Amino acid sequence: MTIQGIIFANIYDSSLGELTNKRTMASLPYGGRYRQIDFTLSNMSNADIRRIGIISRYNYQSLMAHIGSGEEWDLELQDGGLEYLTPYAVSPNSGYRGKLEALYAAREYMAKGTEDSYVILADSSVLCNMDLNKVLEAHVASGRDMTVVAKEGVANGHKQLDLAMKLDENGQIADMAVDYVAPSEYLASMGMFIIEKRLLMELVENRVARNYYRFERDLILPMWQEKKLSVNVYCFDGVALFTESPEEYYTANLALLDKDVRDGLFRDRPIYTKVRDRVPTYYGENTNIDNCIVADGCVLEGNAKNSVLFRQVTLMEGAMVENSLIMNDSVIGENAELKCVILDKNVTVRPGAKLIGTLQNPIIIKRGEIV
Amino acid sequence: MYFHKKRCIAMLLAGGQGSRLKVLTEKTAKPAVPFGGKYRIIDFPLSNCVNSGIDTVGILTQYQPLELNEYIGNGQPWGLNKTHSCAQILPPYERHDKKNGWYKGTANAIYQNIDFVDRFDPDYVVVLSGDHIYKMDYAAMVAYHEKNEASCTIAVRDVPIEEAPRFGILNTNPDNSIYEFEEKPANPKSTNASMGIYVFNWKVLREALINDEEDPNSSNDFGKNIIPKMLAGGHKLMAYTFNGYWKDVGTIASLWEANMELLGKNPEFNIREDEKFKIYARNSALPSSYIDEGAKTVNCFIAEGSEVYGTVRHSIISVGCSVGEGALVEDSVIMPGVSIAPGAVVRHAIIGEGTQICRGAVVGGAFTPDEKKKISVTHKNAVVSAGSVLLPGEML
Repeated sequence: MTIQGIIFANIYDSSLGELTNKRTMASLPYGGRYRQIDFTLSNMSNADIRRIGIISRYNYQSLMAHIGSGEEWDLELQDGGLEYLTPYAVSPNSGYRGKLEALYAAREYMAKGTEDSYVILADSSVLCNMDLNKVLEAHVASGRDMTVVAKEGVANGHKQLDLAMKLDENGQIADMAVDYVAPSEYLASMGMFIIEKRLLMELVENRVARNYYRFERDLILPMWQEKKLSVNVYCFDGVALFTESPEEYYTANLALLDKDVRDGLFRDRPIYTKVRDRVPTYYGENTNIDNCIVADGCVLEGNAKNSVLFRQVTLMEGAMVENSLIMNDSVIGENAELKCVILDKNVTVRPGAKLIGTLQNPIIIKRGEIV
Repeated sequence: MYFHKKRCIAMLLAGGQGSRLKVLTEKTAKPAVPFGGKYRIIDFPLSNCVNSGIDTVGILTQYQPLELNEYIGNGQPWGLNKTHSCAQILPPYERHDKKNGWYKGTANAIYQNIDFVDRFDPDYVVVLSGDHIYKMDYAAMVAYHEKNEASCTIAVRDVPIEEAPRFGILNTNPDNSIYEFEEKPANPKSTNASMGIYVFNWKVLREALINDEEDPNSSNDFGKNIIPKMLAGGHKLMAYTFNGYWKDVGTIASLWEANMELLGKNPEFNIREDEKFKIYARNSALPSSYIDEGAKTVNCFIAEGSEVYGTVRHSIISVGCSVGEGALVEDSVIMPGVSIAPGAVVRHAIIGEGTQICRGAVVGGAFTPDEKKKISVTHKNAVVSAGSVLLPGEML
């Protein structure tokens, strides 16, 4: 059994505002040294998936700079490996409206590889460390057409879910809904699906021919309802962090301060990322770092608490950072005070400056700004 | 096969045992000994090559090469895995004439690999050793060599006169040309110590190696044989003065010191500055570090993948280590993958890779004044059992 991977790089970009102004969801920095796509790519690589297409609609320069040939994920291969499926390369009318259309545009690419292959489709907005071979085994054992990987405890009556499912006492789907603010008894789709390649291509062509373009709304839901598609649900019981809004992104980063979350994301299988060759982080004489995630290459003379410090951050003496995400190469001047702030890459905070947000509404400072 | 002609290639001598590093090199060649939190000693000369535009490096290995070979791999971390670049491991081999086996000396190691060098038809060969910590632009040295039309140029540094008897000393004329080489002289005439970094014209070196090999009395060593013979043969040898940081980390004390010299606001060896002259290393795919609320981290390096709950002062914590609650690490070098259990104390120590220091164990102690520094050392994957004591200067 072989599996091919398809990763969607910018599905929720518009919901993340300034953070995805100049990058895809997939290339959003996470956890000090990662980009979000590192998790999906590493999961696929760790499951020996050797043919992966990355579908990206726009803003993909930073994504390509990050992943390059895929060397770090062992995906620089003679046969297969990584392929970027950008609109220019796959379709004369650039752009597509949804995942369904994107898959249609990628059908020539999909046709490569073995014919009886399975396809795993994944978004870049859910972070997890998952054994995908186990998911495939469960899918095959279920005898269903498609498996949706889902997570309990995400639906909360506030969050709108792309695809929500309620199971009956036998574990069968009792209800399915799209774009639904689901109550807590629903499972949330993690945007990850397994299906046989042949069937997927057939369904995609069928739907696109009728001018449909959204995968969950126009393919899964109606075909399941019409009993043309049997669906199995794989409940993932590990750590899964959703980052579909700035608030979720902020919380998902701070969640790393919890040891169980760190273990869940990093312990069982390695998560690979681009190597930067930074020196180890230097902690100065008067620095005070409490409950923080710290990446490599930082120079820390000041203080930080409950925060994530990304690569190559400079924290000058007397500076105080709390409940904040400080992305790569940012410099925080002497005695500056930051509370509940997301500093994008390469931001300079002047000495003595004060930025105070709230846990619900962190202040976001754009890349390269001087404040 | 087609080989690009190269102006300059490097030959890195990485076969030495490094016996003075004792338990640290029991199963590891010296160049593969961890350094500075995420590096190995060999990363420094290798990165220097890459940063100097030298993209073809022969690495001569002999002693306990497994770990070193694995570490170098295909040279990818240093960008030496391209079509016309390489980091080529060159082990000793059985020859058709049965004449040679093990590398007998530094010069013999290159002699046995003349065929490798010839493939690139280089004008110059840089000969390096794999046990020094420094950043140096070899391109500047090669340019100096070329400008002076020398046969050989040797990098030198000024050492205190009382230390000179430990080194190979090069006595020079006012124009920096060398008229005499003295290996470890009792009464040194000058303080120009050889750093073991040579630039040779390949044609001259090739001939010198062949002649030296025919001399049954030679110990086939660069310092002892090749350089004196070249001087006697009337070749022009130049001294190239290097003033930057350089450290031979051949002893426990010097390895410890060199690690400590990375620390401080203005460290003696600042590897934090200069983005364009990076030191590359093989990466271990570990997450960012976690520093707990109860942790205290003062004047230290902490590399990625570590979890710190205790106190770390004036120390190097390498990749993938853990320091438990209430543990104290002071003035120490903690190599990769070490776990230090809650309540353990480590002072003035070098803790070998993968060592486990169990609860309440005490390793090392304070330096006593007017005494030789006593550094405690543990070997790779050692276990210091709960509540046990490793005395200052003791080795496990």
